[in-house]
Amino acid sequence: MPQKENNKRFRNLFARRGLLILISAAVMLELTAVLQYYYSRKGLREEAINRAESELALCEAQISDVMDQVETAVRNDLWAVRKVLAYPDSLYSLTQRMLEYNPVIYGSAVAMIENYYPSKGRLYSPYSFRDSSGIHSIDLGTETYDYPTQEWFTEALTHPDGYWSEPYYDEGGGEMLMTTFSMPLYDKKGRTVAVLTADMSLEWLTELVGNVKVYPSAFSILVSRSGQMMVAPAETLVMQTNILDVAARAAMDSTEGRSFAQAMLAGEEGSRVIRRGDLVDHVFFSPLERTGWSMAIVIPEEEIYGKVKRLGLVVAILQLLGLVLLVFIIRNTAVSFLRLQDVEQRKDMMESELKIASGIQMSMLPKTFPHFPERCDLDMYGVIIPAKEVGGDLYDFFIRDDRLFFCIGDVSGKGVPASLVMAVTRSLFRTVSGHEGNPDRILATMNDSMTEMNESNMFVTCFIGIMDLGSGVVRYSNAGHNAPLVLGKEGVRMLDVHPNVPLGVLEGMRFTTQEMILSEGESLFLYTDGLTEAENAENQLYGETRLLEATAHLTGFSAKEQVDKVEVSVREHVADAPQSDDLTILNIKYMGRPKTLTERHLILHNDIQQIPQLADFVETIASESGMDQAMAMQVNLALEEAVTNVIMYAYPAGTDGLVDVEATLRVGEVEFLISDSGCPFDPTSRDEVDTSLSAEERPIGGLGVHLVRRIMDEVSYSRVDDRNMLRLIKKLSA
Amino acid sequence: MEIKIQTENDGVVGYFAGRLDTPASLQASKDIQPLLEQADKTIILDFSDLEYISSSGLRILLTLRKEASRKGGEVVIRGIREEIRQVFLMTGFYNLFVIQG
Repeated sequence: MPQKENNKRFRNLFARRGLLILISAAVMLELTAVLQYYYSRKGLREEAINRAESELALCEAQISDVMDQVETAVRNDLWAVRKVLAYPDSLYSLTQRMLEYNPVIYGSAVAMIENYYPSKGRLYSPYSFRDSSGIHSIDLGTETYDYPTQEWFTEALTHPDGYWSEPYYDEGGGEMLMTTFSMPLYDKKGRTVAVLTADMSLEWLTELVGNVKVYPSAFSILVSRSGQMMVAPAETLVMQTNILDVAARAAMDSTEGRSFAQAMLAGEEGSRVIRRGDLVDHVFFSPLERTGWSMAIVIPEEEIYGKVKRLGLVVAILQLLGLVLLVFIIRNTAVSFLRLQDVEQRKDMMESELKIASGIQMSMLPKTFPHFPERCDLDMYGVIIPAKEVGGDLYDFFIRDDRLFFCIGDVSGKGVPASLVMAVTRSLFRTVSGHEGNPDRILATMNDSMTEMNESNMFVTCFIGIMDLGSGVVRYSNAGHNAPLVLGKEGVRMLDVHPNVPLGVLEGMRFTTQEMILSEGESLFLYTDGLTEAENAENQLYGETRLLEATAHLTGFSAKEQVDKVEVSVREHVADAPQSDDLTILNIKYMGRPKTLTERHLILHNDIQQIPQLADFVETIASESGMDQAMAMQVNLALEEAVTNVIMYAYPAGTDGLVDVEATLRVGEVEFLISDSGCPFDPTSRDEVDTSLSAEERPIGGLGVHLVRRIMDEVSYSRVDDRNMLRLIKKLSA
Repeated sequence: MEIKIQTENDGVVGYFAGRLDTPASLQASKDIQPLLEQADKTIILDFSDLEYISSSGLRILLTLRKEASRKGGEVVIRGIREEIRQVFLMTGFYNLFVIQG
């Protein structure tokens, strides 16, 4: 459940993170889009202005060029006309030549002032014009055409540098939009004698200006000084409408519209943004030199920014796709991350559970000291200092039948597997030594069990000992473990051990049992190689030499003090270096038996009828020890049962044998040692009687040994020198 | 060790006196023969004077108890001393018999 809870929390966290990433990504994308849009617009706007302005300038240059030709032609003509002024008829040929030389000139006149040539009447104006059939010459000065009143004539009189007329429709001639350049001709005395004109078709101009297509839907406007539309988007507007009227129209009636029209008329150069309902136009305008006409280029905003809008749309779509992709990626990442996390969590959980399991096993190892506070013959102390990683060190001990079973071991490798093997090793030791009293056989059985299930090829070095607490005799067997030390009165020595092979290596291995006697006050100091291989920062091992030095003079100290002193010595060596391996020490100090007060000895024949003698013997000891009636009776009962067993089973029927009973009264306990030279018989190996069974189920036998165990505090059997030795101890309450 | 068997109002009563140790058990197992024969009835064992009992003595009692349950009788123990009661407790015999007093 907590894992699910975690997942959920994590999922939420991830969702929040994911959302955050998405939002930031979206914001950033949008920001880029806006910036891009802004700069694109700016760029496009600048481009539009550039294009409009350059188009305007180009147009103006072209127009100017054409007009220049016309003006130059007229100026040049002034001189020719002056030369032939005396010959009025020759003026025709001049106007004709004017047309011949200047294709842009549609018509040309030399309009004499009134009554200049008396012979020619009041008005005389030779005029040449071209049409589809060629160049023709007429005299404009007819009664129907009173040219001195025409604008081109009157204005020329006041414009010595020439005058461009307002555009007009040439109704008589080409039926086309025309403009006329007129210039006064002065005689030598400075009097005006004539006005020279050149008509120019504006067809090319409207074409030129009309063809200015900055953008497909852009259009141009050309207005005259008075505001007449010369070039307009609609044919109907041409020459029919004034720009001011157009600007006043409802759709365009706006401040900008009017301001634009007035600016054009005022001959200003500039640009305006004009709104026509939903449409927005950008207008660029510039006056044409000489004529005072004004040209404008109108570009619908859509045309300028359409591209960027379309681009913006594409970008937006791409960004949306990108975001969707991002969502997808985040989701996928989250899912796979979660899955990974799930696996990790499961692994962590398993590992922590295994750690807990090994922790439980560790905690089951005897760790409280003194572990047998009631015993004065034994002083023990053990310590496991685990490295950071869980390891596979173990020690264990227990007392059965007045014998101390103990072991120390080190599993190869580290980590959870090692600690599991350690747990197995420990429980095997407990199980096997529960009914086996020979150290070599305990190791052999453990080894067989371990090789059988050892799939990971782990092995365990192990040292097992069984100490007879009465005598201090230790029978021990080794499985590849390092030799323990004996902290004796004459100093420290390394116990002689057969190395043998570690447990779990080979099935069917045989181990050897060795024996030693631990004298009163001596310690058996067992340890794992984590002690001798403790490294300092310079990678120097603590080593056996240092260990032997540290333990050389420790006899006088208690088991705990001895271990503490070794620990201090190791710590000094290791200093700050990290601990690489478990460090385990088990120290067993034998204190010997308490002082003997009385010893009594009884020898019996293997005859049941001798039992009353035993009863008397026990009675004596009991009274000497100060036992009460009830306890005395129970001890009596235990002795009778034990001795009866020997009488009944140790010797074959019909043979004569002896039973020795030694009673030793010490402070706080009475010990009985029952020995015989009969065939090996270990009463302690018999199964416990189940006292909860019903009468029908209860077997007849087994009660005797059960009573002995129940009554006595310690019961131990050993076979020494072909003799059965049964040791019974009864503790005396103070 | 002395075992006296009497028929009384309550039924057959076996009076046990002295020490019922291993040697005594040999004789005792013969002495209780009349009780085994009447195991279909209620047998009362009076332990008022029983000072001591060993496992062989317990075995005799168990034999009697088994015979009684086979024949449909009952074994009642009365007057049991504290020391003997302790032995009965240790061996689980306390629950096998009806113990009075």
